[in-house]
Amino acid sequence: MGREAGLSALEATLMSVLVYSGTAQAATVGGFAAGAGIFAGMATVLMLNARYLLYGASLRPWLSQCRPPQAYGTLWFLGDANWAMATKANAEGENDAAFILGSGVSMYLPWIAGTLSGALAGNWIADPRTLGVDFLLVAFCAAMAMDLFKSRADAVPAIAAAVVAALLDQVAPSGWTLVAAGLAGGFAAWLRHEDAP
Amino acid sequence: MTLRAELLPLLFGLALASFACRAGGFWLMRFVTVTPRLRATLAAAPLAVMIGIVTPAALRGGLPEIVGLAATFAAMRLWRSDLLAMFVGVAAVALCRAFAQ
Repeated sequence: MGREAGLSALEATLMSVLVYSGTAQAATVGGFAAGAGIFAGMATVLMLNARYLLYGASLRPWLSQCRPPQAYGTLWFLGDANWAMATKANAEGENDAAFILGSGVSMYLPWIAGTLSGALAGNWIADPRTLGVDFLLVAFCAAMAMDLFKSRADAVPAIAAAVVAALLDQVAPSGWTLVAAGLAGGFAAWLRHEDAP
Repeated sequence: MTLRAELLPLLFGLALASFACRAGGFWLMRFVTVTPRLRATLAAAPLAVMIGIVTPAALRGGLPEIVGLAATFAAMRLWRSDLLAMFVGVAAVALCRAFAQ
C-alpha cells in the first residue's frame, strides 16, 4: 500500500515503527498521496486513535504499579488486540503488568516485519479482500465481545454502545463511531452503578 | 531505499499524535481518583468499543459479513477460543465472497 502512494520501503517501515496504527497509516498515506499537509495528517491520526485514550485510561489501575518510564514505554506498544488480550487476562486474575508489554511487543514486531516485507515485495500476492483479511479485526472484536460479556449487568452498556454506534454510523462513519460507542457504554455503566453507602 | 528529508516532519508529527493518544488516557487518570463507580465505567468501555467496531461492520456489510459474524459467534459458542473463532469467521467471509463472484 505504501508503494502505491510513492513511499520507499525504508519510509514505509519507519512509518510503521513510529506511528504503529494500521488504520491511521492507511488513511494518512492516502492523504499524503493526495497532497494533504502535516496538520491534516495529525488530525486524522488523533481521530482514528482516540480509542487509545479509553484503552490507556482503563489500564490505569493496573499499569500504575509501574514507574512512569516503564508505564509510558509499555504504552508505546499499545494496540487493539494487545489491549483486548490484556484486559481479558486481567479480568481472569492476571496482575503482572509485564503481560501488557509482552503482548504489545508480540503484536508490534510482526507489524514492522509485515510492512518491510510487504514494501519490499512491492505488491500484495492477492487482493486482501478476497482472503477476508479486512474482516480479521471485526471477527476478532466479535469474539472478544463474547468473551467480555460476563453477566446480565453488561447488557445495558452493550445495548447503549450498539445503538450509539448504529446511529452515528448513519450520520458520519468515521473513527469517532467506536469512541462514541465506548463512551456510551461507560456512561451507561456509570448511571447504573450504585455506590456503596 | 530512499528517505526524503521533507517527509521526516510529517512522520514525526504523526508519531506524536499517535503516542499522545496512547499515553494521554493513562496520564489524565493521574488527576482522577478511581472510585468503584469510575472503575465500573472503565470496565464497561472495552465491551462497548468492541461493539462499536462490530456494529457498523455488520450494518454496512453484505451477506458475507453477516455469515462471517454468525460463524464467529457459533465457533465461539462451540470452542470458547477467540483466535479459532476469528479464523472461522474470516474463512467464512472469504468463502462467501468467492461464491458471490
